[in-house]
Amino acid sequence: MMFQKTPRPAMPQEEYPTPGVSPDEVETVVGPSVRVEGDFASEGNIIVKGIVSGSVKTSKLLTVEKGASIFANVRAGNAAISGSIRGNVKVSDRLDLAETAQVAGDIDCRVLSVAPGALIHGKVVMKGIEIAGDKEEKKIGGFMSKIKSHSEDEMDNTVASGL
Amino acid sequence: MYVYLYDNFLKQKKYASILKMIETRLTDFGIAGKIIRLQSLSDAKELVEDEIKKGVSGIVIVGNDKTFGQVLSRAATSETLFGFLPIGSDNRIAEILGIPIGEEACATLSRRRKLRLDLGWFNGRYFVSQLHVIPSEIAVEYDERFKVTAKGKMELVVCNLQPFEWEGNGKKYIVHPQDGKLEAFLRPIVGHSWFKEVYEDPSIFPFQEMTVSAKKPFVVEADGRQSKETKIKIKLSKKRVEMVVGKERRF
Repeated sequence: MMFQKTPRPAMPQEEYPTPGVSPDEVETVVGPSVRVEGDFASEGNIIVKGIVSGSVKTSKLLTVEKGASIFANVRAGNAAISGSIRGNVKVSDRLDLAETAQVAGDIDCRVLSVAPGALIHGKVVMKGIEIAGDKEEKKIGGFMSKIKSHSEDEMDNTVASGL
Repeated sequence: MYVYLYDNFLKQKKYASILKMIETRLTDFGIAGKIIRLQSLSDAKELVEDEIKKGVSGIVIVGNDKTFGQVLSRAATSETLFGFLPIGSDNRIAEILGIPIGEEACATLSRRRKLRLDLGWFNGRYFVSQLHVIPSEIAVEYDERFKVTAKGKMELVVCNLQPFEWEGNGKKYIVHPQDGKLEAFLRPIVGHSWFKEVYEDPSIFPFQEMTVSAKKPFVVEADGRQSKETKIKIKLSKKRVEMVVGKERRF
């Protein structure tokens, strides 16, 4: 039998969205050849595979895949970046920068993980450290100013007595 | 008393026995009622409104997904209880509503488990299952905040009750729509193979209001009805219809 029919194997079925994300959560996906312009906000997780020209905002997880670009400020609950962002990144919890990530802008987050090869051009602010540094600076600053003012008084007195 | 709207396809001889069984079961449950056969030119809204004036307690759609869409797209503004008795193939909505196909649906109907359902709305009519824009050069604006475009043609599917399915990388994917929002799936055409177009994996955007526009008219298909448009506004109409649903519903 030359042209015997062979049964086609059944196609495996998979429930979207991507693994690791609860299927109950509302998921927004920007495909690789799609361009989004304007203020882009979502209540659920966002996956960017294409280009977004405008601000991106979510209280949940933002994933910027390799080859994807965002040209504006970004705000997210958590973020995993493998693509490029030209704008400030404000993440309320954890920011992961993969080795292909590029961020040209200031970063503000609580926990930062940077893989070797990731590029950052901007200021990195992590709130916990900033507060501790400020307090120390204030303490030292206050003590130094006292010494300074005391020695300045002494100097003034000696100058006055000399005169 | 219920009024039963029978689809025209049920005239076929092969459905005679199942209809007889259903009618017997409905009589057993004490919910048998008037039967109206829908014709292709029947105005569902007018029919339903007429029956409401006569004091019916509910309208039961008998047929498949197409019948369900055909009736509710017009009659969704009518304030009455709707029921559904799915018969034959092409019955995905029934599965989502938790209504078994055929004779078993009579028991679900008799239990009167009522729920208000969200419907999609576009250019003056409702859609129940899905809205489909055949691949065209379209631009989509979401909630008047951001705009989505692609280089070439894009296919758009907006899901209300019916899940969205697609195949890619040798797998079949299914997305079940969420309650309280509409889901839009955009698939740009990225190439051509021997006999068909090659689509990119879909971009997904949940939304409440969306505007689709194009320079050239594009084909819109909603609940089995086609029309040509240059601009459409799609909205979610929350808790629009009251419906008898089954325990095994998907939402």
